[in-house]
Amino acid sequence: MSAIGIIAIASAIAVLCGAASAIGMGLATSRAVDAIARQPEASGKINTSFTFGLIMMETIAIFALLVAILLIFVLAPTVS
Amino acid sequence: MLDISIYQKPFEIFGVNVGFSVVVAWCVIAALIVLLLFVRRAAGRFQEVPHGFQNVIEFAVEGIYDFARSKVGRHADSVAPFALTFIFYIFFTTIIDLFGIPPATEDINCTFALGLCSFIMVNVEALRFKGLKGRIKALAAPVPYALPIRILTDCVAPVSMGIRLFANVFVGGVIMQLVYMVFPLVVPAILASYFNVLHIGIQVFIFAMLSLTFAGEAVEQE
Repeated sequence: MSAIGIIAIASAIAVLCGAASAIGMGLATSRAVDAIARQPEASGKINTSFTFGLIMMETIAIFALLVAILLIFVLAPTVS
Repeated sequence: MLDISIYQKPFEIFGVNVGFSVVVAWCVIAALIVLLLFVRRAAGRFQEVPHGFQNVIEFAVEGIYDFARSKVGRHADSVAPFALTFIFYIFFTTIIDLFGIPPATEDINCTFALGLCSFIMVNVEALRFKGLKGRIKALAAPVPYALPIRILTDCVAPVSMGIRLFANVFVGGVIMQLVYMVFPLVVPAILASYFNVLHIGIQVFIFAMLSLTFAGEAVEQE
């Protein structure tokens, strides 16, 4: 297998990290909606901590995307 | 082929390489200072009942103070100006992308420096309001052997903030370049309003919010 092919597979594996963060976001959103439905008056506080959690998960997805982009655009030209 | 590199673009002044992003940041700071002098002159004519421009300024300042109070509590007044400074600096050094100048926050040195500023701010505030003993006591809060882990978590926070801001701005730029390659017309205009404007706004807000949250955690009373 050529080096470029290995790099392509590596970046695909890196982007898989997005699946984990999507699952996390889904769980968090479902719980947040549950909590707001149960206690609509606490929606402000729930929203704040919910946003904070979402930011952390979104960051993981962005890191994965960064790694994939760096693999493709920075590492790949050095080996070809 | 795309022009993508995480290394700083060189820029020489009198034979010394200071880096292109630093020069961009200087220009933005100069522009902001000029803007600030105008605001300062206008502030001399502010009246009891606000109207027009004064409304905008009061809305921004009161907004950030209220936001800081909801995060930090009663020590918010010394932290809120930092948050507004972060917001202005990051927003303008990044939004300059719209004028075709590479944003300063696309350089990882800049974002690490911002993270370090936030780290220093948090720790100075914590030492000021709690003292060294209180700070160590708060870090060893649930059980004493959690101290090293808590210190590690605190020290990783600025690195994570720096990489988060850098990654978001960088990835936004790369995605826009890819879109320009595939669709040269119309589509980039729609996507750019998200990736170059709204996305930046969200990241700026997140940076300020994280600084305030860490400051709130550090200065909170037992």
